[in-house]
Amino acid sequence: MNDREVKILDGNTFVVSDSRGDIEASPTDAAGLFSFDTRFLSRWILSLNGERLGALSVDDLQYFETRFFLVPGTGTVYIDAKLSVIRQRTVGGGFHEELTILNHDEQPIELSVRLDAASDFADLFEVKDALKKKGRYSNRVERGRLVLGYERETFRRETVISASERAAFDENGLTFAIKLAPHGSWSTELHVVAGMGTMETARGTGRRRKVTMERSLERWLDAAPRLRCDWQPLEAIYRRSLVDLAALRFSPEVAGGKSLPAAGLPWFMTMFGRDSIFTSLQALPFAPDLAAGTLRALGEWQGSSLDDFRDEDPGRILHEMRYGEMTAFEERPHSPYYGCADATPLFVVLLDEYERWTGDRKLVRELEYEARAALDWIDDYADLLGNGYLSYQRRNEKTGLENQCWKDSWDSISFRDGTLPGFPRATCELQGYAYDAKVRGARLARLVWKDPALAERLEQEAADLKRRFNRDFWIEDGEYFALALDEDGRQVDTLASNNGHLLWSGIVDKSKARAVARHLLGPRLFSGWGVRTLAEGEGRYNPIGYHVGTVWPFDNSFIAWGLRRYGFKQEAARVAAGILDAAEFFEGRLPEAFGGYERSLTKYPVQYPTACSPQAWSTGAPLLLLRTMLGLEPHGDDLIIDAALPSTMGRLELLDIPGRWGRIDAFGRGRVEIPG
Amino acid sequence: MAKTDSIAKFMDGVASRGHEPSLANATGTVRFEVVDGKKSERWLLTVTRGELAVSRGNARADVTLRAPRALFEQIFRGKANATAAFLRGALQIDGNVELIVLVQRLLPGPPASRRKGRAAGWAARPR
Repeated sequence: MNDREVKILDGNTFVVSDSRGDIEASPTDAAGLFSFDTRFLSRWILSLNGERLGALSVDDLQYFETRFFLVPGTGTVYIDAKLSVIRQRTVGGGFHEELTILNHDEQPIELSVRLDAASDFADLFEVKDALKKKGRYSNRVERGRLVLGYERETFRRETVISASERAAFDENGLTFAIKLAPHGSWSTELHVVAGMGTMETARGTGRRRKVTMERSLERWLDAAPRLRCDWQPLEAIYRRSLVDLAALRFSPEVAGGKSLPAAGLPWFMTMFGRDSIFTSLQALPFAPDLAAGTLRALGEWQGSSLDDFRDEDPGRILHEMRYGEMTAFEERPHSPYYGCADATPLFVVLLDEYERWTGDRKLVRELEYEARAALDWIDDYADLLGNGYLSYQRRNEKTGLENQCWKDSWDSISFRDGTLPGFPRATCELQGYAYDAKVRGARLARLVWKDPALAERLEQEAADLKRRFNRDFWIEDGEYFALALDEDGRQVDTLASNNGHLLWSGIVDKSKARAVARHLLGPRLFSGWGVRTLAEGEGRYNPIGYHVGTVWPFDNSFIAWGLRRYGFKQEAARVAAGILDAAEFFEGRLPEAFGGYERSLTKYPVQYPTACSPQAWSTGAPLLLLRTMLGLEPHGDDLIIDAALPSTMGRLELLDIPGRWGRIDAFGRGRVEIPG
Repeated sequence: MAKTDSIAKFMDGVASRGHEPSLANATGTVRFEVVDGKKSERWLLTVTRGELAVSRGNARADVTLRAPRALFEQIFRGKANATAAFLRGALQIDGNVELIVLVQRLLPGPPASRRKGRAAGWAARPR
């Protein structure tokens, strides 16, 4: 069992080790202590008298704390050990490890306790792509501590290792020579601090301690609505979602220390425009503060100038922020990178939805400049073909992203025969988001900014966009919306899950909605677990293709919301039931994506091979599904509740839902029969 | 001296903006310490809900930016990126980082970057 990966994290600092607590990173795997996208420990191995240990058990105490129970020897046969070892590790600004050794023998024993330590200071991008380092390493022993260092010009990162008990330090680790009395015990505290060089002063010195983290988790759980359900797994799924979301909260000091959801572990513990916005939308009825943190941080970092390398424009909301060496030396554009076409309209959508739930007009006033700039960006910078549609084409052709929509892999946008369209590409859901941003922007302009002229203009533009969209994207014979328009305005004619997002944004003509819903729940898209990213039968369809056939829980949660928006309650309940059934198989933690195989074929959902977990918007999916099943919709200062639950759920209660109404309870009883 | 000019020119430009709407939420003082060998030249930018004022001198500031002259010159001409320079340790920031994130909006982008879309003055196609 030594191979099992154990992850603990606090914001963007995390540790991935084996189940003994050891770290033995190869250049390309994500084991280690990471902070701010840099690996600060690639080797951390405990041995007693030169012998490695074996794991008896691992207790995941909290998301930021783990306890490892170990015995000498790594054999598979359990020998009657005279010694046991406990490592309790807490992450935060590096990590803190309490190492305890117990002697169960009637004889005293002398031991050499060794910790091997090393760091390759790899940038996460280097770990992903197996690249070589360009700077110099320096390990030095100082009084009572070992300092592992890395330097490239002015870029400095350091790992400082110290212990509470006397140890002999050398450049490759530290050794304790200890004597244990009969039935005696010995323990030491090990500190591993990730040092950021001159970035340190800006990062702040007050590192969060375990106590603060525990309190913060308790407060977080207390503040969330309470859930009771006849279908037991839902309570576990709900709790898992809340705890994982707490773990993924991230307070980027360089963005003012506000809390927003990072995208996922291990590769994406950073600020992402799209992921942070979608997750905040999903969590609004449960943890509305996340939306405020997301809006503030993304607003502050809004693009202000034209920068081809970063694909930045004035008004554009960032795609991804990184802090590692390759970003620092501009070998990657993530300082931050702006190449994403949906986060900007979605920023306005989130701002409006946040106000509808919380009534916090102060924030809407505070972000008036940013919201207007975002609305302007849609027409001034993103209508690349001058045809009135939001499209994308990267200007950074070396390290920028080709596909700047949520399906951002290279082959995600294709014609039915599998050929790829040219650029710019105007994917359909982007038009939906732009429409929704204009409609919601108009509401905010009238209500909060007191600018009726802007409101009227936005409403006219939205109506015009909707009219054109339903004409230009609609595929008559197939009765669905094309995935995109290519650079010549031709329809990219594949059937994809994006149609569900169109329902969510409200851009679909009522007369076309039923046909769209039929497709979403039809055999080509619906697997029984959920809606596939791409329909079976399309040229590039592959049930385990990242964006071309897998089922994404996040995608499905918005599709369910879209179905409800157009009154398809039963269909929404079916999608919710499928995804929540899958969540039960994944022990409450939905992966980023799972295979698009027919449910009747595999009986259980097949996890996508390299999916990231926990992933913020997968964690948020059950929350949004709860909202859609209960039919929660703010209306003025009231919350409308209109439940449509799968019959298998039985009775569902969600108590103390926070919002502008104070706290409200919602109840529902499962009445929708799910076929199959 | 041509060197002094690009920094003074940027500061003059900032001062002459008067009110900057994108900084309407920002209030505070930023000190720029332009390091030139052993000497350093100091500029103080005061932002009061978007009102900008520039002065010289040593007044206390909410946040201090410190870098060699050559780097500041590049940043003020859009030839170096301030965030990347900060991550690299070349630009030191001490104090209220949030204020700096906002004040970054005064910095120009790379001069060679291309405009696209309507902002580039493209004529809209018939719809």
